[in-house]
Amino acid sequence: MSRVQHTPLVDQRTAFAQIFGVWRPCMPRLAIGIVLSLLALLAGLELMWTAGLRLAGMAIGLWAVASIVLRLLGAGRVAGRYIERLFTHDAMFRALADLRVWFFRRLAAGSAAGLGFRRSGDLLSRLVSDVETLDGLYLRVVVPLCGAAVALALLLRAALPLAPGLAVVLAVLLLMAAIALPLVALRIGRHEGGSIAVAQAALRNGLIDLTAGLREIRAFEAEAGVASRIDVLDESLSRAQGQLARKLALAGAVSFLTGQAAIVAVLAALVGVGMTPLHPAAGCGLLFLTIAAFEASSGLTRAGVLAGTMGMAARRVVESADQPATLDRGTRPAPSGTDIALRNVSFRWSPDRPMVLRNVTLDIPSGSRVAILGPSGAGKSSLAALLLKVAVPEEGDILLGSEPLSTLRDDAVRSRIAWLSQATHLFDDTLRANLTLGRRDVTDDMLWRALDQAAIGDLVRGLPDGLETWIGEGGTRLSGGQGRRVALARTLLADAPILLLDEPTTGLDAQTAADFFSTLNDVAGDRTVIMIAHRLTGVERIDRVWRVADGQVMPAMA
Amino acid sequence: MVSYKAAMSRDKQIVRAWTRAQARLGRRNARPVIAAGLVGTLIACAQAACIAALLGPVLAGHAAAMQIVWPLAGFGCLAIVRAMVLALGDIAAGRAGARARRRLRQDIVQTMLSAGPVLLRRAHSGALAALAFDRVEALDGFFARWIPASILWVAQPVLVVCVVAFVAPHAALVMALCGLFVPFAQAAFGIGAAVASRRQFLAMTRLQARFLDRIRGIATIVLAGRADDEAERLAAAAAELRKRTMTVLRVAFLSSAAIDLAMVVALVLITLGEGHGLVAQRAAGTLDPASVGRALFALVLVPEFFAPLRALALAYQDRAQASGAAESIHDLFGAETVSIDADEGRQSHDVPCTPGEARPSSVSVRFERVSFSWDADRGASLSDVSFRMDARQTLLLCGASGAGKSTIMELLLGFVSPMSGRILFNECDVAEMSSAQRARYVAWIGQRPVLFAGTIADNLRLARPEASDEALEHALAMASADFVSALPQGIHTVIGDGGFGLSGGQAQRIAIARAFLKNAPLLLLDEPTAHLDPATERAIFDTLARLAEGRTVILASHSHAISRFGAQRLDLVHGRVLESRVVA
Repeated sequence: MSRVQHTPLVDQRTAFAQIFGVWRPCMPRLAIGIVLSLLALLAGLELMWTAGLRLAGMAIGLWAVASIVLRLLGAGRVAGRYIERLFTHDAMFRALADLRVWFFRRLAAGSAAGLGFRRSGDLLSRLVSDVETLDGLYLRVVVPLCGAAVALALLLRAALPLAPGLAVVLAVLLLMAAIALPLVALRIGRHEGGSIAVAQAALRNGLIDLTAGLREIRAFEAEAGVASRIDVLDESLSRAQGQLARKLALAGAVSFLTGQAAIVAVLAALVGVGMTPLHPAAGCGLLFLTIAAFEASSGLTRAGVLAGTMGMAARRVVESADQPATLDRGTRPAPSGTDIALRNVSFRWSPDRPMVLRNVTLDIPSGSRVAILGPSGAGKSSLAALLLKVAVPEEGDILLGSEPLSTLRDDAVRSRIAWLSQATHLFDDTLRANLTLGRRDVTDDMLWRALDQAAIGDLVRGLPDGLETWIGEGGTRLSGGQGRRVALARTLLADAPILLLDEPTTGLDAQTAADFFSTLNDVAGDRTVIMIAHRLTGVERIDRVWRVADGQVMPAMA
Repeated sequence: MVSYKAAMSRDKQIVRAWTRAQARLGRRNARPVIAAGLVGTLIACAQAACIAALLGPVLAGHAAAMQIVWPLAGFGCLAIVRAMVLALGDIAAGRAGARARRRLRQDIVQTMLSAGPVLLRRAHSGALAALAFDRVEALDGFFARWIPASILWVAQPVLVVCVVAFVAPHAALVMALCGLFVPFAQAAFGIGAAVASRRQFLAMTRLQARFLDRIRGIATIVLAGRADDEAERLAAAAAELRKRTMTVLRVAFLSSAAIDLAMVVALVLITLGEGHGLVAQRAAGTLDPASVGRALFALVLVPEFFAPLRALALAYQDRAQASGAAESIHDLFGAETVSIDADEGRQSHDVPCTPGEARPSSVSVRFERVSFSWDADRGASLSDVSFRMDARQTLLLCGASGAGKSTIMELLLGFVSPMSGRILFNECDVAEMSSAQRARYVAWIGQRPVLFAGTIADNLRLARPEASDEALEHALAMASADFVSALPQGIHTVIGDGGFGLSGGQAQRIAIARAFLKNAPLLLLDEPTAHLDPATERAIFDTLARLAEGRTVILASHSHAISRFGAQRLDLVHGRVLESRVVA
């Protein structure tokens, strides 16, 4: 049921445009950050310039350049840099936080929420680090580029009155260091970055194979082979990274050389190679200014390489957040009736895939207990997705209490249908937080009642921390059966009139599953129960059984 | 509480020891980087001398005494050499990082392999893979940047001061004093802050994990109608993350502000100090180009003096990564060292128990009062279990989950060893067999076979590396894996990530073919159809029945389809044998 998307990534410009759109509220802050950092840079450049002037000035007797200026600039540079860095980083982290929340909302609103199995955890974790990668966009690209522009302006202001030819040479060299070389590095990075990504994916997959297959490896005595395979993958990753490192080192060296060339140019002008010598004091000031200006833009070459990665990151973030926002949003509140009816429903996950359900008509009266059985991939879970309004039928209607589902609000539908499946997530949090999911209108009494109904209350009472017990990632500190009961308690707490159970006992052994179902029989009361499964265990109390096969839903003997 | 603290400090010691040991190992590879750094500093000194030689006369107004060609050309040539040294240093740093990562990954992979499947009881396989991949990748900076920086931050400034001391002793003194101020300043606002930053680092990691967890469970949140509320809580968590990150950064920025301050002070003091002397000279009319040059020389070298200090401050977060990695490695493997040693000890006294029989054709199995516990706190998983089966018999393990069925399987597979009692194959204690010997007895099919990324043939040859293509085809035919021959590339079809996707039933058939190929006398079947629908389950059991012919079989399954294996039955309740009887 997972839909694999092979649509091309959104192009880089749209991606950045969208991200900057999210950042619009942060823009004033980011802009102030840039101004502050430019002020700090100016103070730094002025300091070097004045230091040069002053030194030369003292030597040739121009005592006039005030030493106070020097000291003030020095203090200004230190304080300015400190404040600037704090402020820009803070602004950047605010922007990243906004991006994360935006991403989460988009994911929640879009169909990407799916039923929890559309996207793998690996991709999601990469998206988390992708968001982090984007911090370089502002701190390492935008701010230094603005800095380079200021440095260029200052350099021209200092050099043009002295020697226009020299000014041109310096400007060209600075533009090389700040723009041309970073662009070259960007291309290198994009090319090499691709092969590194491939090698990384191969090694990561090899290691996932290894850890997941530890049992097989031990059972077949395959340790040596697997270890050497990992080492081969590691070597090819090292080779790819080494290649990038060499090219980067070269780019860095060339960038360094442009700075040195600029110094040589100023030195030559000072001693009058091919021109009348510069005035010593002014020349000396220019020399120091040149050194500082090139230092400020030296990080850009390296940032150029990262820019490629950032572009990819931006595209991935935008692409996965950019799922079509759910379908037609209804506006009507939930009806009081809870009869469910499917009328000639056909459905597929996307137009280029085969139909999963064809012309299905089905009635689930309020308070009835039905089972929908069938082999994996037959369309059972698609049915669940349709009922929960995660997907919409291509043809036909689904009625809830005789109102079409498409006209009802999403949350109204979901307040009537409580969903429990093996994909129901247990959060790495306390038992209480897992049960309430942030609701504040739940009393302890209600929690305990739900836990008791799910037949886990006594166990929780026995825990030293009770409701505050931390249950670990995916509920790992509980056994499989216990975890399922916690999920059941959460479902019961939702107090919805319809329970939709999508293979809730997968992965549990027969005895535990049977216990779970007999608990369920007791607590379901007069709720509607829709059970989706491979097969029945025989313990469930069921009024009707439907079988799904070849996109058709057929009644079967109960 | 006291003992907890003691344990914490012991853990901290272990972490520190690990970090130190890694630094020692990394230092050899860092030598070229350090050498490049030192050579670079020397070249910078020579370049400063060129500038001084060039500008001294200009500033002193002795244009006639000016040497233009050699200082200018020298400066240019030195720049080229320095650029090359710089590049070589960068490349060497990259190589040092890569080598260290590879070594570390080999270590971790070896530890994982020798600890074996037991690890999966302690951590999710994804977490283990992340340790071996992401954690190790993140250590690149520790080896490539931190280790060289931790040496160069002393060596380079000392070198600069020594050189300057020859030419301008006063300036050298100023530099040295300002340099010494840096560690003092860092200690002044650093010590408490360093502890804080460690704590912040942990808090940051936790908050990141929380975000990831919420994203993973997004469907649960959305379908429970809690998305808006959760987004707000996430925003609060993100704000918290930002504040904590800023606290860490403030420390880092303060320390580099201290470096900046020291540098500015040095610049100003040297400018004023040397300048003062020059003004006096000028007043006396004896302005000497050489002394102007000396002042210039010292001044130009001030940034060179402070650059390594700044590099160290920048590399500090790489150091924090290393502590983090050490902690997670210790958490996972810390307890493991003991059992690994035991394993090696067993292999050393390799007494062949079944003389002359390289490939045993049949096997009887006996458990003799076997007890085992995964976790002392939770009590025994198996207590005092005894049973025996003759060769070519079938035994059915029954009981609820947690009754000890999987533990018996894992004991037979040698993933763990009994804490008391003996397991005997053909009346030989398996504890006295090498793991290779024992592996020859056993074929195993679990709930979900892991198929490795690669071709189907690669996956089959796991069982017998030297098997011919014909042998593979035969095994597939025996396992009724007809779908393989229908694939365009047959057994050379790539499966796994990015390859052909197999259904659960197909994967299980590959696993059965693997067992046919291995042809071991003892067949362990651990819920082999737990995830399959009834039709597929029936078909798989048909094939398994064929595989079981003439072998000793131990089967754990809840399915009703197993009645065909007319078998002995062992009922387990809480790790104890309830009764043993023959059905059908």
